Amino acid sequence: MSVLTAIITSKDQSTRDQALDAFCRSATLEQLLSECKSLEEFRHASLNLYEQVRALFFLYAIHRFHLPTKKGLPSRGLIPFQGYDDLLHRRFEEAIERFLAAQSQDGPHDGISSALAAAYRSLGFQTLANQVRASVRSVRGNQWMFRAGHPSDYPLRVVPTLLEKTDGLYPLLHERTPVRMDLSHSGWSDIFFLGMDFPEGARVLNISINLAVRDHHAQQIPRPPVEAYFRVIDTPMIRLVSTDLGAVTEITSFAQIFDYAVDYLGLLKGAVIASGIVPPSMEGATQPLADLLSELVGPGLGIEIVSQVNNIPKGSRLAVSTTLLGSIIAVCMRATGQTSSLSGSLTENERRTIASRAILGEWLSGSGGGWQDSGGVWPGIKIIQGVCSTDGDIEYGVSRGCLLPRHTILTHEDVSPASRKQLQDSLILVHGGMAQDVGPILEMVTERYLLRSETEWQGRQEALALFDHIVAELKRGDIQAIGKSTHRNFLGPIQTIIPWASNLYTESIIHRVKAEFGKDFWGFWMLGGMSGGGMGFLFHPSRKIEAQNRLWEIMRSEKHRLEHGIPFAMEPVVYDFTVNEQGSSAELSRGEKTVMPQPYYALIIPSLLRRDPRAMSVHQRNELDHFSSACRSNPALEGMLQQIFERILPDGGTEIPQHQSLNELLDRYGFDRIQHNQLKADLKSGRIGLAQNRLPINSTIVDVEDGDVDEIAGDRFSKYASVGSAAIASGTVAVLTLAAGSGSRWTKGAGTVKALNPYCRIGGVHRTFIETHLAKTRRTMKQFGATIPHVFSTGYLTHDAIKQHLEDAQNYGFDGDLLLSPGSSIGLRLIPTVRDLRFAWLEMPQQLLDEQAQKVLESLHASLMDWAERTGEGSDYTDNLPLQCLHPVGHWYEIPNLFRNGVLLQLLRSFPDLQHILVHNIDTVGANLDPAILGHHIESKAGMTVEVITRRLDDRGGGLARTEGRLRLIEGLALPREEYEFILSYYNTATYWIDLDRVLHVFGLRRSDLASPKTVTEAVRSLASRMPTYITLKNVKKRWGKGQEDIYPTLQYEKLWGDMTALPGLRCSYVVVPRERGQQLKEPAQMDGWLRDGSADYVQSLCEWQ
Amino acid sequence: MKIGKAIITAAGPGQRRLPLQTLIDRDGEQKSVLTVIIEEVSRAGINDTCIVIHPDDEIAFRSFAGDHSGHISFVYQQEPRGYGHAIWCARDFVKGEPFLHLVGDHLYVSRMLKGCAQRVVESAETESCSVSAVQATREGYLPNFGVVSGKRIHGRNDLYAIETVIEKPTPTEAEQRLIVPGLHAGYYLCFFGIHVLTPAVMQILQRQIEGAPDGRLATISSALHQLAHQEKYLALEMQDYRYNVGVKYGLLNAQLALALSGEDRDEVITMLMEMLLIREHYAGERSKE
Repeated sequence: MSVLTAIITSKDQSTRDQALDAFCRSATLEQLLSECKSLEEFRHASLNLYEQVRALFFLYAIHRFHLPTKKGLPSRGLIPFQGYDDLLHRRFEEAIERFLAAQSQDGPHDGISSALAAAYRSLGFQTLANQVRASVRSVRGNQWMFRAGHPSDYPLRVVPTLLEKTDGLYPLLHERTPVRMDLSHSGWSDIFFLGMDFPEGARVLNISINLAVRDHHAQQIPRPPVEAYFRVIDTPMIRLVSTDLGAVTEITSFAQIFDYAVDYLGLLKGAVIASGIVPPSMEGATQPLADLLSELVGPGLGIEIVSQVNNIPKGSRLAVSTTLLGSIIAVCMRATGQTSSLSGSLTENERRTIASRAILGEWLSGSGGGWQDSGGVWPGIKIIQGVCSTDGDIEYGVSRGCLLPRHTILTHEDVSPASRKQLQDSLILVHGGMAQDVGPILEMVTERYLLRSETEWQGRQEALALFDHIVAELKRGDIQAIGKSTHRNFLGPIQTIIPWASNLYTESIIHRVKAEFGKDFWGFWMLGGMSGGGMGFLFHPSRKIEAQNRLWEIMRSEKHRLEHGIPFAMEPVVYDFTVNEQGSSAELSRGEKTVMPQPYYALIIPSLLRRDPRAMSVHQRNELDHFSSACRSNPALEGMLQQIFERILPDGGTEIPQHQSLNELLDRYGFDRIQHNQLKADLKSGRIGLAQNRLPINSTIVDVEDGDVDEIAGDRFSKYASVGSAAIASGTVAVLTLAAGSGSRWTKGAGTVKALNPYCRIGGVHRTFIETHLAKTRRTMKQFGATIPHVFSTGYLTHDAIKQHLEDAQNYGFDGDLLLSPGSSIGLRLIPTVRDLRFAWLEMPQQLLDEQAQKVLESLHASLMDWAERTGEGSDYTDNLPLQCLHPVGHWYEIPNLFRNGVLLQLLRSFPDLQHILVHNIDTVGANLDPAILGHHIESKAGMTVEVITRRLDDRGGGLARTEGRLRLIEGLALPREEYEFILSYYNTATYWIDLDRVLHVFGLRRSDLASPKTVTEAVRSLASRMPTYITLKNVKKRWGKGQEDIYPTLQYEKLWGDMTALPGLRCSYVVVPRERGQQLKEPAQMDGWLRDGSADYVQSLCEWQ
Repeated sequence: MKIGKAIITAAGPGQRRLPLQTLIDRDGEQKSVLTVIIEEVSRAGINDTCIVIHPDDEIAFRSFAGDHSGHISFVYQQEPRGYGHAIWCARDFVKGEPFLHLVGDHLYVSRMLKGCAQRVVESAETESCSVSAVQATREGYLPNFGVVSGKRIHGRNDLYAIETVIEKPTPTEAEQRLIVPGLHAGYYLCFFGIHVLTPAVMQILQRQIEGAPDGRLATISSALHQLAHQEKYLALEMQDYRYNVGVKYGLLNAQLALALSGEDRDEVITMLMEMLLIREHYAGERSKE
């Protein structure tokens, strides 16, 4: 029997908890391959979910982390395109089959292992997600919702009380739900998969709280932050209103309610569906929705559901979205008699049903939440823990734990009112304002947990022990000790399990708070998936008010300091909170007491007033009458008339300053209006576009031949190294780091400066990209006793921020010549054409998402196409912050910019012997002045040497190819067919060594011409016209409301330096470099693998920090 | 246990005129709904029947009871205080004896030689306990019925020991509390409208009514739920047909069902066929135009 299957199937807990890494470290290549074979057979044979999933994650980890490090595994090899296509379409089993067939045919290699790793990992997560869904559907009380298909089968009725009018108005049911905070930080044990596999370890201390955003001008009393309203209306429709998002929709068909992304009300729709009011099984029903409403409320009637989140910004880590789902589900269940009482609190059984339906709602609307996130529905302080499945549970025999946990409410004997008060008096809740995507973190936790990685597993045990401490401390009212424990938890287990849970921003705040408050600062406490958004700080109660004020100031100043490199969604806020002892509760009001929240009227009344009174329904007229008298008598509606008046009369002029500033920016950064208008005309007429980027379909594109690329190893290595070393020592080398771009994939278009992002903690300190590059050059200088100039090219978005940052950081102590090369080209983004969007989303191979998420995405795509059409295809994109409307025009320009902006001239004055420039991207952190590669470049006498790496599955975007017989780099955008990429063995690292004179020659320039701006400009323009222009689609974030973000696709154009290899006048050579050198860090999701596969250590070995 | 009395309830708002509708029974004779129900009671061997009515309806009911009016008593429900209250109004009539109860707006068509009420009465007499007729019903109809759950009696396919009774449950509650092993998913045992009840029910109803503030409606289901916890109480699963004449086309449906299972079956089928053919013919003609 194989060692690893024995670990998975062992009856002994300690054997089962053995880490994979321990075995793999000492195993040989052959042993690992044989284990993979056994695991593959085992996972097919096993019927147990846990065994299957663990085997899948073992296989993933072996292929991703262990096989590539084993001696004898070839790095070069091809990945079958069909398998990749299967992966995109989520046919994971088929993909694995194809990759395994390729592996047995061509032998194992690094590329195929990367493909297998991706397929096994995806299949593992899919298997887990399917199980959660199956469990949610099978929960008793939810099953019927998946059976009712026809309105005549529909079994719900609104309770008769809600149909009894008073003063012409239907009664109003109002649910208030607190949010939850997890005092223990659960070590992410509330992830469903973990709870289902290791229920004993899934424990959290969950507290329901009322909240108010602290206002320095007016005292706000904390209240349940999430509210939902339900009432009958006399129009056959479902009206959904989100007062905080300012969105209203009137739904009259089944198709509308299942269209989640068409507006901002996807979550409300998910809740209405999960509550059973429109059961999920009715998706696709063609009958009018009125048929269902006629059964539910009666002929001609409909319902209105209003949600309100009181000023709590997105990303609060207080489970606002799940709480909102829970609140709406609760009010809908009450209204349809699915709870025993219409008002007041809920029973335990009802809360459990709501919790399971909130999970369903999360899945339907494509959001994500943990298993404790409905905690606000329960009252006060409770311990939520996993439950082992037993005979009779739907999970029994499938997973060790049940989907739904057990809630044990701590009584006032367990935790005294005094202790509760002390907690309130010590703890300060804040939202740091950082924009975060917690999804990848949750996947990392699941992965590490299933692999039982040694240190992380120990971290988990330590977190469990700390949990017991915190509960005991709370019971005895020792809040100071709680602070100590949560702080220890953050510094220890949490960061051991996931280093990315912390970041520079959070640590800077903690550092300053500690320095300022000394022993009165009792500890930091992390909420939820990662820090930077919702966080907690515990202080001595006597200093709480002071600390609240100071924290706000500290957060603001740290944000200001770091916001160029770290994406923030909003200004930081401080909350006031109280423990909520009721949980979700409701009240029913009638007649004149039926008052909706203020923002509701601000949204609804103006449109009612614009209507012809004769076209209004009786209820609407009554509503208007009621509102006008309530405005005069009800203090809750004070000031409403003024607000509505302002809404009705259009407020002109607010857009103008923004436009002006955009125009100023365009002028300042050298925007070429003539070229831009030509581009627009070409785009509209279809002469250029995404599809037109491609080379003709009959182009011959084949893989490299023997001898086309060089691998630097063996005897030649030392020869080249000595040539390169001499060149470095003699001052003929410079480094150019390309840092003009915004790195839009890094922050999904947030518009921060990637160069300044503290991307990883290396050597115990959070390092920015810029610091890393300088540290490598510093080390090289020291090693060779040479002075090496380091240039960062900058652009409109990055120049000022980088300049300021380097000044503040005093160049990170870099004592060589450090120069910035500012860009002088800029583009204005365009609204895409529907044709291009269609091409990108429908014709290009796309990653198909999980079934429900795909539906949401398709709905979003449809509404974005509609947006493009309405706003004007191919017109200027100006509806955003000015800087978000501009775009850099591709890194091709960044090298000739050196010639134009005088930086090269300046360099040559200081380093007249300068001959070679290493050019690399800001995110290629492994690239350094390697003497052997430099030596090879010098010896080859090439105008440019290009570094390439063997291809892995994620290396998308072209590669090295023989195109029409010529060896050159080809961009992914230019490939006539997607599958061509999969016949190319080598991928471009975008790291180039250029020979200055030879490259100047291609531009038609000599060193002496550099002093003549006119000559240089003409030479650059002339060569630019020979370079292909690519049209690309980029996502741009638009921020609004309280931390809300919309992402819009925009078109821009760019020219890329890799196309220089196609020029006949420039001779290029190509060298293969190791992956850790050539890897570019494009997305934060890559970072975990990068840290774990040894790449980070490699980079550390190249650096000498300040 | 011998059952000698029956209660028919017909006082509910919206139900008061339903028993007075006329139709043609299986034997080809024109009768009122009330008469058909009284005959169902007689088939069960019970000739002492009480009808709970609104005080204004006695004359009409007497005249529509036809030949049976001689052995029928009437009891008034003065205010519409619910179904349970209506039964409780007949407490003096039953005088502490078990009784058969039928609702006044349902008609039954038995698939066997014996009548539906007859089989319920026989089961109750054999088992010496309360028995309610139930039928496996799709969850879409839950808003119309009282629903029971229980365990099947060993050796019997059609008898259940009732554990829970809930009036018009939501499907959520039904799934959590009323699932009966052996039924298809989404099917529940809903009341069929025929019960044999022991006098204990009257006592429970008495307590409920006395304990309830004025005006609150007493439901029979909550009383029966209590009964199940107090004494042996069984459900007899029926495979027969029941027709609620109070719903849209209910009377027509009941009429067709009676006609198709009676002496005039061929005549009615011919009539229906003719109607369909003529309709098709005219539809074809119209489409040619």
